[in-house]
Amino acid sequence: MGANFKNKNLVNRYIKKKLDIVLLIFIPIIFLWHPNWLGFLGVQPYWPLFWLLPWSIINGPVNGLIFGLFLGLILDSLTLDSNFTQIPGLILCGFWFGRVKLNSNVLVGHFRYGLICSFGSFLCGTIYFLQILFKNFSESSLLLLISSVQNILAEVFLTGFLAPFFCSQLLIFFKYPGRKVQ
Amino acid sequence: MLDIRRISSSRWWHKKKNWILLTIFLFLVFIRISKGSIYKDFYYFISKPFWPGQFQKEIILKSIDQESLIKLNLLKSDNNRLRKILSLQESSPDNISAAVISRKTGSWWRQILLNKGSKDGVEIGSTVVGPGGLLGRVKNTSLFTSSVTLLTSPESKVGVWVNRIQINGLLVGLGDDFPSLILYSKDADIKVGDFVSSSPASTLLPPNIPIGFVQSIDEPIKAKKIAKISLLAKPQVIDWVQILKTKI
Repeated sequence: MGANFKNKNLVNRYIKKKLDIVLLIFIPIIFLWHPNWLGFLGVQPYWPLFWLLPWSIINGPVNGLIFGLFLGLILDSLTLDSNFTQIPGLILCGFWFGRVKLNSNVLVGHFRYGLICSFGSFLCGTIYFLQILFKNFSESSLLLLISSVQNILAEVFLTGFLAPFFCSQLLIFFKYPGRKVQ
Repeated sequence: MLDIRRISSSRWWHKKKNWILLTIFLFLVFIRISKGSIYKDFYYFISKPFWPGQFQKEIILKSIDQESLIKLNLLKSDNNRLRKILSLQESSPDNISAAVISRKTGSWWRQILLNKGSKDGVEIGSTVVGPGGLLGRVKNTSLFTSSVTLLTSPESKVGVWVNRIQINGLLVGLGDDFPSLILYSKDADIKVGDFVSSSPASTLLPPNIPIGFVQSIDEPIKAKKIAKISLLAKPQVIDWVQILKTKI
């Protein structure tokens, strides 16, 4: 009984300590789940950035770059478009997010997360769109432009809108793994 | 002069963290090469309680569906028996019913994930239809799941047939809800409301599967005429689909 309790306690402590990695595993699950009620014009927020921003802020640009690559590898394996990749956008975002400094003003910090994630989502969306455009370059590629711009703008809006909430919470989780969120 | 030697403990392979990162990297490369099959199978198990058909009304509707399906199968076997007697060709496609467990119908990625995989005999390239008509084709399979590229995906290109004017065209996904029909004839007399089905000349799809209607026609570009197609099968609301195993 005592040993069982001790083991359980150890597992709990380990999970709390490694919560960032545990949450990383759940990003592809949310990516697959694609909750429609959280969408806007059928578009979802760009989920990986919510995890990547707090992780990179705490662990620096090199770790951000490495985990951007890891996230890109996982997400690419879940999408069917074998010709296009999300890796360059996520690597750039990971590196850039790592250079962001925490702001002492909590309110300004919240809005900064929104703005940074919006710009990150714009960067990733644009890089992805450019790949599609290069691959399908023809007269009909002009038709792609309207829907793609709509996709990018909807994604930028949603990501920026939800980032203050998700990023602030995750930042607290990652920085103080044992602390209870009120 | 003293030689300045590198201290051996500063080499990258002496750090445990680097080895862990390398192992994770290799593991992720493996996931990437295997097209995320481990992740998809994991998702299959954790999403199981949330699959469609878990509520009472849906259970009753499912029973009615099953009853209809049994009747349909009986009629099909009857039909086949009679066709054999009359020496006609058999038309009994071996279909697999599957539930949609994940859907991405907005943004760049237009795909659905089904709860039937290679274990159930789903093959890459199989045609997937839902209520209304054609949805797309199976792009890859894992043990328990299969991923379908929708007609709206920028990766999708299929041959189609416009019945009224008896002409073949190419249906290209553009990443929005209305794929484009490209007719390689400037003088094609296509009109809004024309019915589009899969082409009898297509090597990828079985013929005569309903696809949609012409919604609008753009100005001709060079020798091409381009029209927007409104699809009959709506992937954003469909919960159950059929995977056709017919050989073309």
